[in-house]
Amino acid sequence: MEKIVLPDIKDLHLIDVYIQNGGYTALKKAFSQTPDDIIDQVKKSGLRGRGGAAFFAGLKWSFMPKTSSKPKYLCINGDESEPGSFKDRQILEFNPHQLIEGTLIEAYAIQANAAYIYIRGEYHKWIKLLEKALADAYEYGFVGDKMKEKLGGNYSVNIYVHKGAGAYICGEESALMNSIEGKRGYPRVKPPFPAQNGLWGCPTTINNVETVANVPPIINKGWEWFSKIGEPKHPGTILYGLSGHVNNPGIYELPSGTLLTDLIYKYGGGVPGNKKILCVIPGGSSMPPLRGEQIEGIKMDAESLKAAGTSIGTAGIIVMDEDTDLVQVLARIAKFYYHESCGQCTPCREGTGWMLKLLNRIAKGEGSTHDLDLLISVASNIEGNTICALGEAAAWPVRFMITRFRDYFETCVSREVTIPVANKVHSLRHTEYPLAPIKD
Amino acid sequence: MPKFILDGKEIEFEQGQTIIQAAKKSGITIPHFCWHESLSISGNCRVCLVEIEKMPKLAIACSTLAAEGMVVYSESDKALSARNAVMEFELINHPLDCPICDEAGECKLQDYAYSHGNGESRFNEEKAHKDKRVPLGPLVMFDGDRCISCSRCIRFCDEIAKESQLTFIKRGDRVTIVTYPGKQLDNPYSMNVTDICPVGALTSRDFRFKARVWELSSTKSICNGCSRGCNINLEVRNNQVLRLTPRQNDEVNSFWMCDHGRVNTYKFINAEDRVDSPYLRRKGALARSGWDEAFAAASSELKSYSKNEIAFIGSPYATCEDNFILSKFATQIIGTKHMDFIRHFNTSFGDNFLRQGDVTPNSFGAKAVGIFPGKGGLDLDGIIKAVKDGQIKAVYLMEDDMIAFNPELQEIFSKLDLFIVHATNFNKTTELADIVFPASTYAEKHGTIVNSDGRVQRLKPAVATFDVDRALEGMSLSRWDKFGTKFDSWAEGNKRDARSSWRILAGLSGAMGHKYKYGTAEEVFMDIAKSINAFSGLDYEVIGELGAKLKLDSVTKPVIA
Repeated sequence: MEKIVLPDIKDLHLIDVYIQNGGYTALKKAFSQTPDDIIDQVKKSGLRGRGGAAFFAGLKWSFMPKTSSKPKYLCINGDESEPGSFKDRQILEFNPHQLIEGTLIEAYAIQANAAYIYIRGEYHKWIKLLEKALADAYEYGFVGDKMKEKLGGNYSVNIYVHKGAGAYICGEESALMNSIEGKRGYPRVKPPFPAQNGLWGCPTTINNVETVANVPPIINKGWEWFSKIGEPKHPGTILYGLSGHVNNPGIYELPSGTLLTDLIYKYGGGVPGNKKILCVIPGGSSMPPLRGEQIEGIKMDAESLKAAGTSIGTAGIIVMDEDTDLVQVLARIAKFYYHESCGQCTPCREGTGWMLKLLNRIAKGEGSTHDLDLLISVASNIEGNTICALGEAAAWPVRFMITRFRDYFETCVSREVTIPVANKVHSLRHTEYPLAPIKD
Repeated sequence: MPKFILDGKEIEFEQGQTIIQAAKKSGITIPHFCWHESLSISGNCRVCLVEIEKMPKLAIACSTLAAEGMVVYSESDKALSARNAVMEFELINHPLDCPICDEAGECKLQDYAYSHGNGESRFNEEKAHKDKRVPLGPLVMFDGDRCISCSRCIRFCDEIAKESQLTFIKRGDRVTIVTYPGKQLDNPYSMNVTDICPVGALTSRDFRFKARVWELSSTKSICNGCSRGCNINLEVRNNQVLRLTPRQNDEVNSFWMCDHGRVNTYKFINAEDRVDSPYLRRKGALARSGWDEAFAAASSELKSYSKNEIAFIGSPYATCEDNFILSKFATQIIGTKHMDFIRHFNTSFGDNFLRQGDVTPNSFGAKAVGIFPGKGGLDLDGIIKAVKDGQIKAVYLMEDDMIAFNPELQEIFSKLDLFIVHATNFNKTTELADIVFPASTYAEKHGTIVNSDGRVQRLKPAVATFDVDRALEGMSLSRWDKFGTKFDSWAEGNKRDARSSWRILAGLSGAMGHKYKYGTAEEVFMDIAKSINAFSGLDYEVIGELGAKLKLDSVTKPVIA
C-alpha cells in the first residue's frame, strides 16, 4: 500500500536522500504553472485539512484575495497538542523536506510574502530537526532569495520557524496568529476570517502540517491519482495515531476510510490480554467517544465518522479496554481542557473549571445522578457559545461520554439525588417590575 | 437607510454598524459587559449572543455587522437560554459579596443577575480564588475575585489613555489582571477604569467604603479642574460631595475625565476651612458679622475712595453670571476702569487628550462677559504696580487666591487700605482681607462657565446652602420615595451661609443705593445674552445638559501664556 507522507525510505529526512527520491521536483513543476493552476489541482484532488475540521484545502486557498494592497502570509500549524494526536511530529522527524516543499508550493499558490511554520514549544527536538532541514533547503537554494536562481521564475519566499510557548490554544488558528504577532494567545472573534484579516491584519492562509505535506505528491502525480486513494469524499492517506490499550501503538499511514477495527486489530495488534473494548475516541481527546460495541464497520474518514456520531478530528485513535475507569478518563480530559482554556470568553473560562470540579467529586465517589445531568447541561451551555472551537472541544467529551455511557456513569454515582440548596435570590426577569436603565 | 429586524422591530443602521450599535442608536440596549461604545470590540463576555435567522449558531451582537433584511432575535428562547447560561457562568466564581462591594447599586453584573439571571445557582463547588485588595496604582484598587475578565480596563489603557499598563496573565479561570512589570496604573486618566469596570473589580481608592451609591444624589455639573470643562456628576450625601464621576458628552469629554479633576477638585467644598459667613476685620482680626453689617461696611469703605483708587479683580473660577455682575458693579456703580482677572496656566498640566494648560474652568467666560480693563484702565500687572506705588488703595477681589498665586504679592497687598475678598475657603489672601464675603463653590450655585472651546455649560447646585437649595432639575436619586422624608440622606448635613458672588454683589450694590433687578442666576444670564453678542440666542434651556457654543467670531480666544 502506498505511503504518501511517510514513505518507508531510510534517511529521507536528509536533503540529499529526499532529492534522490524525487524531492523538490514538485516545486519545480509547480513553478512552471500559474498559482491558480496549483489551487485548481489541489481543489480537484479533494484534499481535506488534517488538523481537525477536514475543510477542503484548495477551497481555503482560493479564499485568498487575488489582489491585495497588503502583504499575504502563509501559516503552517504544527502546534500539535491534542491528547492522542502525535502525527505531525513524525513528519517533522522523518520527512521534513516534504513539509518544506509543500509549504513553498502553497506559498507560491497563494503568492505569500512570507511563510511561518508554528510548532508547539514542547517539541524541542522536532523544532531542531525542522530547523536543520530548513537550513539545508536554504543552502540548496530551494527557499529564500536563491529560489529565483535555482528554480527560475520570479517568486521567492522565506520560511520562518516559530516556536510556541506551551499553550494548546495556540493551535487554534487565530490564537496562533496572535502568538506569532507576540500577543497573548487569545483566539480572535470571527468573522473576519484569516483570508481577510490574518497575521498582522493581512490576508493569511493557515494549514495543518500533514495537509501541506500532502501537496507535493498531488502536484507530482496529479490530482486524479490522489483523488482515487481511499474514500472519494475524503481522499488520500491519513496518518492514524493509535494509542491506549493496543499492542502496537503508533502512527499508521493508511488510506482514508480504513476500518476502525482493522486499525485496532490488524495494524495495532489488538488489545493487550484480548480484553474487550469499552470505549474508543477516534479523533483526539476532544472528539465524541464511541462505545466498544459501536465500532464494528466504522470507516475512518470524515463523512463516515460524522454519520457514526463522531468526528475524524486529528485521527488520533484512543482505545480503552473494559477495565478502564471512564470517570477517571473523563476527569483527566476535563482537567486538560480546564488547564488549557485560555480564559478569554466566559463559558469556557468558567465552565471548564465547573465540569472538572464536578467530575473530581464524582471520581471521589461523592457524585449523584443529578451531577451527571448537571454536567451535560454545563457542557451544553458552553457549546456553541464561545469565541473559538475549544468550547466544543471541552464540552463534547463530557457531553458525549456521559450520554453514551450513561449506564456506566450511573453505576459510579449515588442514586440518591441530593439537589444542592441553591442560593435563591430574586429574579425579576419574568416580572413586570420596572428596572432602571442599566448604565454603561 | 438600510434596515434590519430586531425582535420584530425595524432598526435603521448605517453600513459598518454592528447590531448592538444600531440597536443602541434606536434606543434598544442588548445586554453586554465587555462591549463599550468607545473601545474596540473584544467579544469575550458572550452576554450579547443573539439568534440570527439563517445563521447556524448564535452570534454576538457586538461584533456582528448589521445587514439589510437581517432578522435578529435577542429575546428568543435560544438567545435567552444562552444569556442565562452566560450569566450563570459569570456568577459561579463571583464572590457575590454585594453587601460589602462598592459597586453594588451600579453594578452591571448585579443588574443583569436580576434581569437576566436564573435566580438561583446550581454551583455547589468551591469557588476559584484570586488576589484581593491589590493596589494597581495610587488611585485604583483591584479585586481579582470579582473580575469577569471583560478587558475593558485593559483596552481603556491601550486605546484611550494610550499608556499600556494593564494586562491579563494566566489562563482559564485563573486569568487575572496585573500591571506590566515595573509599571503601575498611574496614567492621568486611570480612574476611568473604575467607571467602565462592569463589576466591583476596580474601585476608586478615593471613594472606597465611603458610601453606598444608592445613598448618593447625582447632579449634572461641570468639572472645574481645567478649561476643558468635562461634564461630570456631583455625587452627594448629607450635603457632602463624596465623588465626581464623568458624564458623557461627545463634544467635550466623551465618557472620561482625568484623575486630577476627579480627586482634587471637590474636597475644598466639604472642607473645614470654608468661609461660613461674612467676616469683618476688627482690631486686626477677622470677626464674623451679619450680611447687612458687612454690606454696610463694604459700602461705606468703598465710597471713601475715588473711582481711580479702586481696582477690581474677577475670577476664572467664578461663573459668567458672577463675573458679569462684577464687571457691571465696577463700571456702573464704582466707575473704575481698572479691572482684570488672574490667568492660571500650567503648560505641564495640559496634554493632547482632555487636560488643558489653562487650569481654570472659566477664563474664557470671564473675559467674554467683560472682565478686562476699560479704555485707559489698568490690567493685572498695572493694578499690582499701582498697588505697590500706592495709586490704587482699594482692591475688590472675587474668588481667587491671589497670594497663593504669587507669594510676592503678600507684601504689596498688605499695603492696601481696603481689601475686599469673596472667598469659598480661608486662605492666604483672606488673611490680608478687611472684608471677606462667603462665596458659594461651583457645587452650590446655578451658573454658566465657558470652556476653552467657547462652549457654555451649566452648573447646578448639588449642595444646599442657606441661599440656594439643591437643584431638582436633572438630579437623580435612587429612592425618590425617600425624598423629603427623614430618610432623605440628601437633606441632612451642614448647610453653609454662602452666596453666589453675583448675589453678594447685588446685595452690596443695594446697600450702595443701586438695586439690581435680578432674582436668579438665570435672569442674570438672560441679561448677558441680551447685552453680549457672543451669548446672543442662548438661555439655560438652549444650553441644556450638554452645553452650547458661543458665537466665536465675536470673542477673542484667550491666548495661553
